[in-house]
Amino acid sequence: MSLTETAQQARRRDLRIPLAAVLIVLALAAPFIGSRYITHSLIIALIFMLPAHGLNLLVGYTGLLSLAQAAFFGIGAYTAGLLAVTYGTPFYVNLLAAGAVSGALALPLGIPALRLRSTSFVMCTLGFVIIGQAIAKNWISLTRGDMGLSSIPKPYFELGPLSFTVSGTTNFYYLALIIGTLATFAVWAIVRSPAGRNMVAIRENETLAESLGVPTWHYKLIVFMISAVFAGVGGCLYAYYLTVVSPLTFQMYYSTTMLIIVLGGGAGMISGTVFGSLLFVGLTEALRITPELRMIAYGVCLLVLVFWFKKGCAPLINRFWNAIGGVK
Amino acid sequence: MLSTILEQTVNGIVTGSVYAIVAVGMTMIFGVLRAINFAHGEYYMLGTFGAWFSIDYLGLSYEASIIVGVLATIAVAYVVGQLVMRRMVGAPAESGVLATLGIALILQNTIILVFGGGYKFFAGGYIEPVSILGFSLAQQRILILVVCLLVFIGLELMVSYTRLGMAMRAVSQNVECCSVVGIDVPQVVLRTFMLGAALAALSGVLTAPVNVSVYGGMGELITFKTLPIIIMGGLGNVRGTFVAAMILGVAESLVATYVGLQFRDTVGFATLILMLMWRPHGLFSTQARF
Repeated sequence: MSLTETAQQARRRDLRIPLAAVLIVLALAAPFIGSRYITHSLIIALIFMLPAHGLNLLVGYTGLLSLAQAAFFGIGAYTAGLLAVTYGTPFYVNLLAAGAVSGALALPLGIPALRLRSTSFVMCTLGFVIIGQAIAKNWISLTRGDMGLSSIPKPYFELGPLSFTVSGTTNFYYLALIIGTLATFAVWAIVRSPAGRNMVAIRENETLAESLGVPTWHYKLIVFMISAVFAGVGGCLYAYYLTVVSPLTFQMYYSTTMLIIVLGGGAGMISGTVFGSLLFVGLTEALRITPELRMIAYGVCLLVLVFWFKKGCAPLINRFWNAIGGVK
Repeated sequence: MLSTILEQTVNGIVTGSVYAIVAVGMTMIFGVLRAINFAHGEYYMLGTFGAWFSIDYLGLSYEASIIVGVLATIAVAYVVGQLVMRRMVGAPAESGVLATLGIALILQNTIILVFGGGYKFFAGGYIEPVSILGFSLAQQRILILVVCLLVFIGLELMVSYTRLGMAMRAVSQNVECCSVVGIDVPQVVLRTFMLGAALAALSGVLTAPVNVSVYGGMGELITFKTLPIIIMGGLGNVRGTFVAAMILGVAESLVATYVGLQFRDTVGFATLILMLMWRPHGLFSTQARF
């Protein structure tokens, strides 16, 4: 890079910090700017962002295409729902339990699944969703079968004498925003750590990574479990938001949606997942004219994504970010 | 007791035959394209709907409706193949998964949009029971068994002796070399895809009289049944698919009788996961093929 170019760059203003500030203010003020419906859509986006973050760690960073997110999403939803309805435990306990149960179940499921490569791995993870749905439908003494769990109480916190109940859409939005932000930072921390670099090494060339001394098997298993924890937490929030859990929580639709969010936003990029969840939830909400037309349009979007946006929106985001930062 | 087991086994073999015809199309598509076709059940559904439409609206006989259903599906498969499947040669695994999921959504919901989402009665087929060796078996089930055997014999011959069959085998071995020696790979992919879709449609039309009801979302279940079969059979392996389909058919039938009907649909994936722990490359593969 020549001296003149550097000088030119110095003269251009870096708009990245102001833009970030505007985005933060917008995120905080969203319930007061938009209608209740927009707030609702944003909550859905924030909830779906959690399992998508987990999936991004798997697909984008470690290179494992998984369809199991819906299974862990459902496990989280049922764990939280059952605890809340049966024992009336406070929200944060259920949230932690949902993450923990999903993560713990990912261990016995991940051991056989991760022995497989590419296509077989995809199929095996899809099997978890189908089996999860069958269990939710048929273990009636626990899950109440097709009726599902209803009237899940509003999230409440209890710390000693203090207690706080999250009521209303606005409050729930802030709850989702806090959890979403924490999750995003958690992913950021994982990706920036040496473990994150090892994950990318596995994605790029597993054999080479193994030969360089990266314990690839342990990494893959742990990333699979972490992604399940994210999905479980997302499922917990979803259960609290809808106040019902039914076997339909175990649906291919959710796995597909999460895959679209990650690949559409740009796999292997945290901002891609955040952007993707906003974009695709916005898209599906906007297409809510009739359910059939909506699903047809959803299918067309998938094809457009595959053939025209192979890397998702990531290149667009990167170009925009660099442009406003003054870097060529 | 023993007669129940035998009867359920025979029923299972019939179910297995249905799965086998659908799955063999999917496994051949995987062979040439290296992509799982998540929309495969949708062609089964299209075939059934084509037949139902021609019986209910056009007043055709069941035999004619088989032809209409299969031809209509081939036409749809041609369009999908030209627009989408041809472009997927050499694409990464994610593209295949996403694109075929997209096609499944489009086909399924278009049918629901046009014909409504409710169950429809399929009036047709040979439902009179026949008595063979003390068993009573519906004529339609015997027809399914016969067609399945014919399809597999035909496929074996085609794969070994015809030009398309040899090209298919070549493409499934090595795409680059085929392009180099002048095989039109996208054309082979397109034809294989249309053949696979036609087989799925044929299976759908044959099963419709046994299932009686027809609805827009029926393809999804078939896709989910087919996936474990093609992996158990060894991806791209025609004979393996046949055996795996029979195993799954019989297992489902026995589980439905002795464990509970509601667990029938999970047998496939449960068996798949157990089997993959024991033989990660499929039942009939001696080495890693994928």
